[in-house]
Amino acid sequence: MSEPSYAELFCFSNFTFLTGASHPHELAERAAELGYTALAITDACSVAGIPRAWAALKESPVKLITGSLFELEDAPPDACAPRFILLARARKGYGQLCQLITTARRRAEKGQYLLFSRDMETHALDDCLCLWLPPAPANASPDQALACGEWLLRLFEHRLWIAAARTLEAGEDQQLARARWLSEHLRCPVTATGEVHMHSRERQPLQDVLAALRNHANLENAGHCLFQNGERYLRPLPVLQRLFPESWLEESLRIARQCTFEPGSLRYEYPPDLVPEGESPAAYLKRLTQEGERQRYPEGTPLSVQALIRKELGLISEMKYEHYFLTIHDIVAFARTRNILCQGRGSAANSAVCYCLGITEVNPAQVDLLFERFISKDRNEPPDIDVDFEHERREEVIQYIYQRYSRERAALAATVIRYRPRSAIRDVGKALGFDPALVEQLLEGIDWRDKATNWRQQILDKRLTRNPKVADQFFTLVNTLLGFPRHLSQHVGGFVISSGPLAELVPVENAAMSDRTVIQWDKDDLESLGLMKVDILALGMLTALRKALELISQQKGRPFHMQDIPQEDRATYKMLQKGDSIGVFQVESRAQINMLPRLKPETYYDLVIEVAIVRPGPIQGDMVHPYLRRKHGLEPVEYPNDAIRSVLERTLGVPIFQEQVIKLAMVAAGFTAGEADQLRRAMAAWKSHGDMTPFREKLINGMLERGHDADFAERLYLQICGFGGYGFPESHAASFALLVYVSAWIKRHYPAAFYCALLNSQPMGFYSPSQLVQDAKRHNVVALPPDINISQWDHTLEGRDHQLRLGLKIIRGFPTSAAERLYQHRPQTGYQSATELRRLANLNQREMELLAGANAMPAFAANRHQAYWQLLGHEKPAELFSTAEDNESYEPETCAQLPEPSEGQNVLADYSSQGLTLQRHPLALLREQGHLQFCLSAEQLKTTKAGIPVQVAGLVTGRQRPGSASGVTFVTLEDETGNVNVVVWLETARRQRKPLLTARLLHVKGILEREGEIVHVMAGKLSDLSHLIQTLPVNSRDFH
Amino acid sequence: MLWLYLHFPHLLLDHIRRSSEKASALVIVEDSGQKVIQACPAARDLGVGAGMRLKTAVSLVPELGIIRADQQQEARILEDQARWLYRYAAHIVLVPPNGLLAEIGSLQRLYGGLPAVWQTLEEVLQERRLTAWPGIGHTPLAARLIARSGKGTCTSDKGHTLQVLGQMPLLAAEFDERTCTRLQRLGLNTLAEVFRLPPADMARRLSPETLAYIQKIQGSRPDPQAPWQPPHYFRQQADFVQDIEQSQGLLFPLQRILSELERDLCWRQQDTDCLLLVLGHRHAEPTRLRIRTSGPEHRAEAFLSLIRLRFEQQPLQAPVILLRLTVKRFLGREAPSGQDLLGESQDLNEAWHTLLSRLQARLGENALKQLAPQADHRPERAWSASEVRRTQHVLTTAASHLPQRPLWLLQGPQPLTEIPQVWFTGPERISGGWWDGQRVHRDYYIAQLNNGQLAWVFRDVREGWFVHGWFG
Repeated sequence: MSEPSYAELFCFSNFTFLTGASHPHELAERAAELGYTALAITDACSVAGIPRAWAALKESPVKLITGSLFELEDAPPDACAPRFILLARARKGYGQLCQLITTARRRAEKGQYLLFSRDMETHALDDCLCLWLPPAPANASPDQALACGEWLLRLFEHRLWIAAARTLEAGEDQQLARARWLSEHLRCPVTATGEVHMHSRERQPLQDVLAALRNHANLENAGHCLFQNGERYLRPLPVLQRLFPESWLEESLRIARQCTFEPGSLRYEYPPDLVPEGESPAAYLKRLTQEGERQRYPEGTPLSVQALIRKELGLISEMKYEHYFLTIHDIVAFARTRNILCQGRGSAANSAVCYCLGITEVNPAQVDLLFERFISKDRNEPPDIDVDFEHERREEVIQYIYQRYSRERAALAATVIRYRPRSAIRDVGKALGFDPALVEQLLEGIDWRDKATNWRQQILDKRLTRNPKVADQFFTLVNTLLGFPRHLSQHVGGFVISSGPLAELVPVENAAMSDRTVIQWDKDDLESLGLMKVDILALGMLTALRKALELISQQKGRPFHMQDIPQEDRATYKMLQKGDSIGVFQVESRAQINMLPRLKPETYYDLVIEVAIVRPGPIQGDMVHPYLRRKHGLEPVEYPNDAIRSVLERTLGVPIFQEQVIKLAMVAAGFTAGEADQLRRAMAAWKSHGDMTPFREKLINGMLERGHDADFAERLYLQICGFGGYGFPESHAASFALLVYVSAWIKRHYPAAFYCALLNSQPMGFYSPSQLVQDAKRHNVVALPPDINISQWDHTLEGRDHQLRLGLKIIRGFPTSAAERLYQHRPQTGYQSATELRRLANLNQREMELLAGANAMPAFAANRHQAYWQLLGHEKPAELFSTAEDNESYEPETCAQLPEPSEGQNVLADYSSQGLTLQRHPLALLREQGHLQFCLSAEQLKTTKAGIPVQVAGLVTGRQRPGSASGVTFVTLEDETGNVNVVVWLETARRQRKPLLTARLLHVKGILEREGEIVHVMAGKLSDLSHLIQTLPVNSRDFH
Repeated sequence: MLWLYLHFPHLLLDHIRRSSEKASALVIVEDSGQKVIQACPAARDLGVGAGMRLKTAVSLVPELGIIRADQQQEARILEDQARWLYRYAAHIVLVPPNGLLAEIGSLQRLYGGLPAVWQTLEEVLQERRLTAWPGIGHTPLAARLIARSGKGTCTSDKGHTLQVLGQMPLLAAEFDERTCTRLQRLGLNTLAEVFRLPPADMARRLSPETLAYIQKIQGSRPDPQAPWQPPHYFRQQADFVQDIEQSQGLLFPLQRILSELERDLCWRQQDTDCLLLVLGHRHAEPTRLRIRTSGPEHRAEAFLSLIRLRFEQQPLQAPVILLRLTVKRFLGREAPSGQDLLGESQDLNEAWHTLLSRLQARLGENALKQLAPQADHRPERAWSASEVRRTQHVLTTAASHLPQRPLWLLQGPQPLTEIPQVWFTGPERISGGWWDGQRVHRDYYIAQLNNGQLAWVFRDVREGWFVHGWFG
């Protein structure tokens, strides 16, 4: 007898959600171990698992076959509904398979598929092989089964097999007998299959858990929803030999031999549409670049930039990336014609070519960025350009892409949503029948910010179960389930565009959002197959900038563009050095505000560093202080050798950016280019499942061998860990820094336009409209309340002093359409009464009440109470009986019994209607009422001596516990003069949890600390003063 | 008429706490488990309050006891309260989820004045370890609002009542949300200010319902209340936050429930000879214990000693999370028990039930079982002998889908002592049950033994051969 061999042709991976219990790579590796000749991954109506299996089998002798399982919704005449597997024979068959999956997926809801027998007749499937899984005798009569087989035979003549499995379950004899019988009657061979659901028998418990979850049951009551045994695994060859006749095993090999398609052979073809006829892509790109050059450098391109462009174009055409750059250029050019602000960033974005093409505004003459660092010849990885668009208008760009390339050729990449500890614990708990309330309590109690590994110990401490055996099972299951895919979601903005129909390259399915389609592969899959995507992202700040630039243009009476903003403006940097950066892009967070006065940025490049330095990487690597000391000349700048100098010179010898860290691994620790690339990937994946420890030894030993000191090596390693998942590359920081500068310049020179634009672009950024309006007031911008006779929907600037008039959008719940009618029908002289307003603008009672609540009718209502009285009891007169007088009775009615609102009442009513007040800050009222006797205001703190005990109070606007600060909670308190920063140490926080976690108005006794211009209060005693808010008026309303 | 309203601010919590011997912080969370609905005083002291997210509450008090809100349970507990109140007042109205209304005008004479009624009530509440805020008013709504605001005093003076109501803030006056918002927006703060609005304007500008509501509070509009009828059985339940593992721990709550029963029986002027005690478990079917006395009985002490005896004989199957005592059979005190043995049964299957009862009485509770199929791949688990049910269940599994199994399954597998002569079908592999500690991993065959018997044999993972059943 010959050496046994076998090809597994029926195998679910965990991309058949809640069914398959092994990762594609586990299946692939196991098949290789067992010496299988081939392995087909056949997920239900999906090829999502293929790239991962392929990555694992690339180097192995096991052939990967692409296939998919289908179950039809209807039955052919006189037959039962068939269930079968299709395998792709060659590239053509693969395209046919993808097309069929797309059809079935596109007509169903997200995550489902619907396939009918007529689809099988209308789709070309001549390059696919079909394995029929005949129905069990209990489910279909022999006649029905035979009719089903005949129908399939008509579609797949000579390409149809009957699949037989040995599950060793009850009724198997009859099933096998039927397979033989059908084979005889149809003259169609039988092949052995494993009906594989897991790579190893040890996964049976997890498979049972998944089956129970799929059936919304727990293991106790799942009963026959579970399989009878754990035989659906990849069996060793000798076992297979015992179970199947030799001819059936041979048949599997015969099928495998016919399947020659290899996922690695997929080639991505860029749409040729962009290149004019008769021109080569390279020539066209060169022409566009030259045109751009003339615009960018009207006085002639600097020689250094010319050389750079030449070098870059050479590299691009060598790597055949022209289409990629042309595609992005086309999208950006579209945005420009529509006046949509955009900005590219990423590895290739900050190149001279991209500057000339208008993809980025980062001028290579201004920043010394070397393109070659970003596109690497050795790594053969596609260039990466992300383009940010205005967040309110990104949809226009997306629609343009769909329209330009059609839905057949463009779709979003998928994001595989995977089991995380929380969801895994919840689901395994459910399957094991744990009390859901108990599981929730447990989850609530876990501090997820404690490092990723600790949650296990925390659960043990909480005694979910007293039975240690159950606990062990629970952990094994949870740990195995972690990282399992749950469903496909849409990537934030990664588009895949192809020259032919996309559905022949990869199946397309529906996303949760209507009108969105995603492909079945995610970012990593695309990368492993060498396919490119274009990232179309949304950025709120770009919206705000465009709106601000428009307001400035209005003020100046001539168009004003981003390019018109003067470079390196001293006043702007001065403002930033003070930490006055609320609303400014990227540097408005509390940590950034604290860093600005320490780093004291003076140039554009300082901003690039500022953006990147307040990140987990540099903080965990303890690189911040050395950098600051060197920047301010308190410590000499030294380099161990020239190689390191070349990497670190721009950052004064301290690694700040992700690229530098990777480069250092090569230069200082002797990593090869390949190893450095692995390190980069591990860093990107570290947060979810990557492991950095293998690199630790290599890095540290490599550095010690090369004479670096152990401390520096250890810190570099920590920094690498810190970069994991949050890696911040210089190429992104450079683009962001530009927006930092632009937004800061506008804030400094056109504050009214700046705040107006920010408010009109909400929600975005760190701060609420209330905080922005208060900051605006502190910058001498006058804000006016919404008024039905003046306001528009958006906030506007009015008068010579550019006062900020709040728009009707600030009124919570007031609909846009109502505002439009109100605006359209507004009489020249304004509305004179509530009745007139209601009639002309056709507002309903709710809308009227919202306006009254916002006190937006000062023209005819003395105060909120009276405004409201006028609206009540209004019945629309029946058409028949309404007379002219009724409609014209514009007499405002007043009610003597109603009290006048107090200031406190107005403040609270403002908050509840608009989320902010233009009247005095509640803290000012409380101070006046004598409630805050010993409290200093934020303004007073600035001039108070450090080290003395102080008391402060304010509305809690932020509570933060950053991962990088061990156990410290930062609380931001807002009073009428500004913000107070409170630092609460872990021990203090533990003892005073209640006020810390629940107070809306907090009183703090503590010690004042000062570092330069930054002032903190180190909290001692915390007390909750929230009850004082209730005393403002007589009535209490919620505040935020 | 004079109305008394009892508001139980944390009834479910009281209910649970009085069945537990130690006091720890407890909260009730809404069904989805996200938010705290009620917090006991101990929890409130630690900063946990109603409306708080559970996440916040747990981070404040890590060892917090958590009870899921359950409307049915709340309704049942409220009815428990109505039952004892019924002993004092005839006209009672249940106001779910946590209020009871009673007409007490007629009681004053019986008890000798309102203060005596008030005092009796306070004593009863204290004895029962219940927190209730009483309120008295000349209309049901007035009594309710006063009770719920915690401002109840022992007075029947209408003028005083109206004055207290007038000072009540709007939020406490229980207007619907929309009306309340409207009144607030008009700048009104107290109920008195609302009383002052002209009635016609109120009906037109607010709503006729608002006017009606105000009038019902004031008493110028009738507000009829249908009286509650007590049920014809006794039932009490204790729920535990923490599992009780020793039967000893059940005696404390049982004592309270049994003395409750004794009082109930006294009030009914009846006895009983049969108690049904149900013990609920977290992961297992409840244990049902029928406690029979030798003759009519009503003394808690007698019941308790019987139950204690039963516990000694029969240890707990699993930790207990709830305990329920039901008495449905009442015997007249003077009637000799013999006559009552076949007392009126309104059930249609009387003969069947009588047979069952007699068999059970003769053979003991546990000797009588009912067979039913169970969805489980393990043969010994594929059927169950459960307690006899009075209603018939319809079989859901069609026979053709069932695997081939012997009609006679042995009590347990027995070692196979000979090599079978003929092998028929097999192997059929069954592996499962890893989740409950009764894992099986076996290959089953049908084989003929030397004496011609058709056996269901298996080989298990330890390579042993066993007979598990016989085919006919």
